[in-house]
Amino acid sequence: MPVLGTAQFGVRTFYAASHPHDKCGANGLPVTPNSVKILGRFQCLTSLSHHRLCQYLDISKTKHECMIIVSEHHPQCLKEKLKSEGTFSEEQIVHTGFQILEGLVHLHDNNVTHRNLGLENVLLDQEGNVKLSEHGLYYMTDYGADVSFPIGLPRYMPPEVLCSGPVRVDDDSGKCIQPLSGPKADVWTFGILLLELILGQEMWSDLGINEKLQKILQFVKSDMSPFDILCQNNATAQKLQALSLEMRDVIRQCLIVSSSKRVKSGDLYQHPLFKAERAKAVPPKKDFTMCTTELRCENLELPTYEETIANEFSDDHLSQRNMQEVYYLWRLAGGDLESVLKKAGMSKTRPPVNLLPCFGILDGDVFGQDRDYAELLDNTVIKLNQEQLRHRLRDIPPRAYYPRLEDEAKQLDGQQLPTSPSCGELTTSATLPLIIRERDVEYQFHRIILYDRLLIAYPFKRAHIWREARVDIPPLVRANVWAALLEVEGDVQGAYDAIDKETPTATDRQIEVDIPRCHQYHELLSSPTAHGKFKRVLKAWVLSNFGHYVYWQGLDSLCAPFLALNFNNEAMAFACLSAFIPKYLHKFFLKDNSPVIQEYLAVFSHLIAFHDPELSNHLDGIGFIPDLYAIPWFLTMYAHVFPMHKIMHLWDTLLLGNSSLPLCIGVAILQQLRDRLLSFGFNECILLFSDMPEIDIERCVHDSIKIFCSTPKSATYRQHARAAKSRNVEERPNVSYYSRDYNEMPRTELSMEPIPMDELKGEKCPRISAEDLIELGELAGAGFSRSPTKKRQGSKPMIFIVDVRSQEDYRRGTIQGSINIPFQTAFSPEGELVPGPAVSTLNQKRSQVIVVLGNRGRSASNFANELVRLGYSRVCVLHKGIDVFRTTGLIIVPPADI
Amino acid sequence: MASRGGPQRPNGASQGKICQFKLVLLGESAVGKSSLVLRFVKGQFHEYQESTIGAAFLTQTVCLDDTTVKFEIWDTAGQERYHSLAPMYYRGAQAAIVVYDITNPDTFGRAKTWVKELQRQASPNIVIALAGNKADLASKRMVEFDEAQAYAEENSLLFMETSAKTAMNVNDIFLAIAKKLPKSETSGTPQPRQGVRLNNEQGGQQSEGGCCK
Repeated sequence: MPVLGTAQFGVRTFYAASHPHDKCGANGLPVTPNSVKILGRFQCLTSLSHHRLCQYLDISKTKHECMIIVSEHHPQCLKEKLKSEGTFSEEQIVHTGFQILEGLVHLHDNNVTHRNLGLENVLLDQEGNVKLSEHGLYYMTDYGADVSFPIGLPRYMPPEVLCSGPVRVDDDSGKCIQPLSGPKADVWTFGILLLELILGQEMWSDLGINEKLQKILQFVKSDMSPFDILCQNNATAQKLQALSLEMRDVIRQCLIVSSSKRVKSGDLYQHPLFKAERAKAVPPKKDFTMCTTELRCENLELPTYEETIANEFSDDHLSQRNMQEVYYLWRLAGGDLESVLKKAGMSKTRPPVNLLPCFGILDGDVFGQDRDYAELLDNTVIKLNQEQLRHRLRDIPPRAYYPRLEDEAKQLDGQQLPTSPSCGELTTSATLPLIIRERDVEYQFHRIILYDRLLIAYPFKRAHIWREARVDIPPLVRANVWAALLEVEGDVQGAYDAIDKETPTATDRQIEVDIPRCHQYHELLSSPTAHGKFKRVLKAWVLSNFGHYVYWQGLDSLCAPFLALNFNNEAMAFACLSAFIPKYLHKFFLKDNSPVIQEYLAVFSHLIAFHDPELSNHLDGIGFIPDLYAIPWFLTMYAHVFPMHKIMHLWDTLLLGNSSLPLCIGVAILQQLRDRLLSFGFNECILLFSDMPEIDIERCVHDSIKIFCSTPKSATYRQHARAAKSRNVEERPNVSYYSRDYNEMPRTELSMEPIPMDELKGEKCPRISAEDLIELGELAGAGFSRSPTKKRQGSKPMIFIVDVRSQEDYRRGTIQGSINIPFQTAFSPEGELVPGPAVSTLNQKRSQVIVVLGNRGRSASNFANELVRLGYSRVCVLHKGIDVFRTTGLIIVPPADI
Repeated sequence: MASRGGPQRPNGASQGKICQFKLVLLGESAVGKSSLVLRFVKGQFHEYQESTIGAAFLTQTVCLDDTTVKFEIWDTAGQERYHSLAPMYYRGAQAAIVVYDITNPDTFGRAKTWVKELQRQASPNIVIALAGNKADLASKRMVEFDEAQAYAEENSLLFMETSAKTAMNVNDIFLAIAKKLPKSETSGTPQPRQGVRLNNEQGGQQSEGGCCK
């Protein structure tokens, strides 16, 4: 993405062709509006950056299929320059022509045909260098199929375009079926353009449209080269014959009637005419790619500091930022396209009464509200004023544009957690609600610049990215930050390219029926371009996991956020999906995944009981079990149940947590709906979840972190969670005891171990491992800890141990700090706890984690079940009972007085 | 938009007996099972109805003369894989609607397979209805009405062509099922804790296969 430099932002509008009312496509779904098709096709143009092309920045659609395109703009165009200067010298023409050719070659290399080239669309920047504009119109409109106006000016039309007639569109697919203009069409136009520069005026400017077209068609009828025909013309002959042989050869080669015989743009670039220009040309700088196997330092040149350079260095630091970023900030600073257009008088609103049709027929088609065809394409460019943005950023000191990343070293030494983004003044903003932070231009400015620097230094700066992400992730850089958090690296593109995504497979039909139903309210994802990408990414996943995992409905939803973020980078979307699934959904896509999901749901039930026994009792009582509602939650990590903007915020946090965090999110959702759920019966609960009700995501995220931190790690132990990865674990910053997966910790005899499914389902409470108990209860002394955060107050749960064995057993030895409530005598026939001093102590400690300690039998878990029934929260059972402590030396004889 | 709610809501003063039936929807992906249920239960239609993951569960009540029939509707995921996940789907169902898409002959073939399976495995008195959905797309029809009707008669199924989009025959097919279901006092499953009960039932029938193995 190029830097802003002296460029402006320009806006153009045009209207997409509208479909007849109620038209259905081949699959029975309504035909995708042309505006949405254009939206999808446009996207890849934004990644088509070149120093001879105006950078495309944004597209949006408004009422009546009106498309608004934002791109780089420069005030001067070649047409004006020609007008003011009269004629160009041949040297000048070669120079300008070569720059145009550079742009064309880049377009053609990327399979884009300009088809709209003309003096008007060749812009010149402040240094007089060429910037082609409007080069994407033909491409984004599916070669003109999606609009009802012709693309390109008549005088530049090559004969084959005129001969093939108007655009024809396939009725079913909506795709263009006319023989499409290829890059050779641009070569013809380039020839005409050179002629115009030579002649110092527009071709056939004195003729009407019909006559112009006739002139072009006359070339077809003649056997002579069009150039020679033009040379015979009295008005032009003199100038043309004065040209150098090389120039004449170039024009002659461009203006060959048969497109197959016409020269290619790439060959033209190598023509001797441009030899001198080629030698001067600077190769375009490679864009930053986060994941590459190439050495980034390959072409690194360290600038040497000289006084003269310092003086040349621009004060305008904003102009050194990339265009996409500046445009993003422009919008945050209050820039609004529609109001700009309205001010410029470009969005004409007509009173609705004038839009009423003359008559309509029963199937909904209406007649008699003809469009004014002249309105369909507006060639005026509205400049976006950058003043407001510059005003908002005026107080930002220059050094904020180049933040230092190395100060953090001190922070690390102090073992402090990041409390603020690296810029100190932002600490106050960082505590504001996320929605406000995301709209605060200054805040986003600092965050984007910081992340920009960090991402350039990825993977070296992974730990820093990780810490910043705990504060927040700016939407503009989310795609790359997520990839960094998912530890995506290496030759992402190569790996993706190596997968055959075209050969039909057995899952194709399922994928094809699922995609048109996946997040289709999202304009971008509902475009045909997105559907194609969806299909390829999903197929790539299925194929790369062939024989191991299979396609389950829901994978489409899981793919959607990554695709929406990496719309122009399928390979990255695929890499993120491939990294996400093993991390959070290990084994979920096995052909027989039911043990995995049953275990997950059982652990989820335990977690509900642990944190909210009242709710758990109610839901169990009415039979509203997680199996009925939570499968789509977990199978898609909530991507199936929330709209895209909520998934983004949810996953911003999810990606920082381990594979147990999603369970906590589930509990947080239930808690947010708690009052309703408690008052509802089975049917109402079912209805409530049949459409996910409105959830405050920021609150949900906040709550789930709290839930997560107050849950002992081993309580969410799952035997089907991913086993420890040997690599990478140590590389990841150990920011908290909780960011690691339980399964990634070294395993000892004090750890959790697989529990049979029926046992797991029979218990209401989670189990806690001995090692967790030692850790959280600080049984081995305060110094022994694996958690760097343990010193922070309230960052970990407090433990209270209840020994439910008989009194004799208890007296023989127990764990320090425990109280004894023997199970046999604990409950009255009515099911209440029999009062006593131990029970009073228990009631005082109700806010703590209650660990029920027993023998190997079931009494401990039965006791725990009873506590849950009585509404005690945070109850868990020590896995394997007291026996597990035999070898630890932590068993003590209790003081006699208890 | 069609009227909200089902065909006839019970009024509080209803005197007759109340019967509860479990009804399951089966059929290939994207034939419109969820759309039929959504139309029947909420009177809504979404053009881009999301795919169903696992199963969706809804209830709706219809009144027949003096009887209130309460349907517990299990809307299953079309992708066959999901049937290993929740074995409780058609076990113990008193009624089933097998749905196909009239514009896609493959889905009709799949519907026939479902009918066979139900006849073999489900409870013997199950009422099966065949629904040829997407009838609004008659111009793209690939499965003839007569063919489907002949098949339905052969197998003594209720049969209607439906359209969740236009609401055509949606309430009617549920009503037709309600009429055909036996409504003696002993029939139906009036217990309110259906979810749990079914779950337990599954445990008892595990040996039959098809459930979570």
